[in-house]
Amino acid sequence: MASQAVKRTIKEVKPILSVDREEARKRVLNLYKAWYRQLPYIVKAYDIPKNVEQCRERLREEFTKHDHFPDIRVIDMLVIKGQMELKEIVNVWKQKGHVMTYFKDSLEPKPKDFLSKFLSGKE
Amino acid sequence: MSLLRQCLQRVPSLRPFKTNVCKTSIRWASTEDSDVKPETRPTVRKPDLVIRSQLKDFGKYVAECLPKYIQTVQITAGDELELLIAPEGVLPVLQFLKDHHNAQYSNLSDIAGMDVPNRECRFEIIYNLLSLRFNSRIRVKTYTDELTPIESCDGIYKAANWYEREIWDMFGVFFSNHPDLRRILTDYGFEGHPFRRDFPLSGYVEVRYDDERKRVVLEPLELAQEFRKFDLSAPWEQFPNFRNVLPASEPVKPDSEKK
Repeated sequence: MASQAVKRTIKEVKPILSVDREEARKRVLNLYKAWYRQLPYIVKAYDIPKNVEQCRERLREEFTKHDHFPDIRVIDMLVIKGQMELKEIVNVWKQKGHVMTYFKDSLEPKPKDFLSKFLSGKE
Repeated sequence: MSLLRQCLQRVPSLRPFKTNVCKTSIRWASTEDSDVKPETRPTVRKPDLVIRSQLKDFGKYVAECLPKYIQTVQITAGDELELLIAPEGVLPVLQFLKDHHNAQYSNLSDIAGMDVPNRECRFEIIYNLLSLRFNSRIRVKTYTDELTPIESCDGIYKAANWYEREIWDMFGVFFSNHPDLRRILTDYGFEGHPFRRDFPLSGYVEVRYDDERKRVVLEPLELAQEFRKFDLSAPWEQFPNFRNVLPASEPVKPDSEKK
């Protein structure tokens, strides 16, 4: 059993981009910096009803949401997808609605206690 | 024997011929025991046996040339040659098939993907090649999973650029060294890879126009109804005509007596 577990941990896989954790971390930081520097231009170009501070908070939240992955390949894949999203924004392939999706401002919070559930007609 | 069979295939009227000596008996032109009946239905395509044997020979030849990468050579659907290769061998095999003088598969017709979730490597990537010189097609199959990248063959076939983007968009298979890998069919802001088997039919997000905000909003999808599982299996046999169909693929074994 123990030998199986050891075998699984040292299973050889093909790396996507990074070969070790440090390299993956550098990629994540680079992506974060690129997004961070782009934020003022995004706010200006897309004319969104948020200021730069709010965008920075949201950016930090998005990165810390994914801070627990042990597999380097998962981190790499997320970095690749984040890079693609950034490119879509920088080139203005996205529109205002797509950018505002990150803030989820059109979602109303789900009713939790009995009375609000009753009033919203869920139960 | 095969030559004789070809002749008979070409002239179907020759197959059973009646002798003048005895009107009732039918003498068969070939004495082979025919447990596989010749295809007589007019709507079913008959595989060409010459081309089939040529493809078999070519498959054996390629398997001998690239033994490191080619795992299986098989013939499917009667006369279609398939090479099943390891994912490391995509570039060498495609380069060989494109540039070798006896192959010249210079045209990449399509790259397809397939998702079988219960396999260890759940995705199959299928390259369809066409040789204009020899009027012949070949199919190269390889496999990968969600996190293993496949080498992009854009350097060999320029046509692969968009096809690989499509595979990336639909299945989420990453192609390393692709010059411009991004979405091609789905909209910006779309979540998930639609051709994966675990992708729900309704998707993860929905788009609607919000009159209050005067813009289009994208929201996570909420279904009003719970997910239901239907039991669609019937107690009777559903496809009795397909009880005795031939196997889908036939492996081509390498010649062992040559060595």
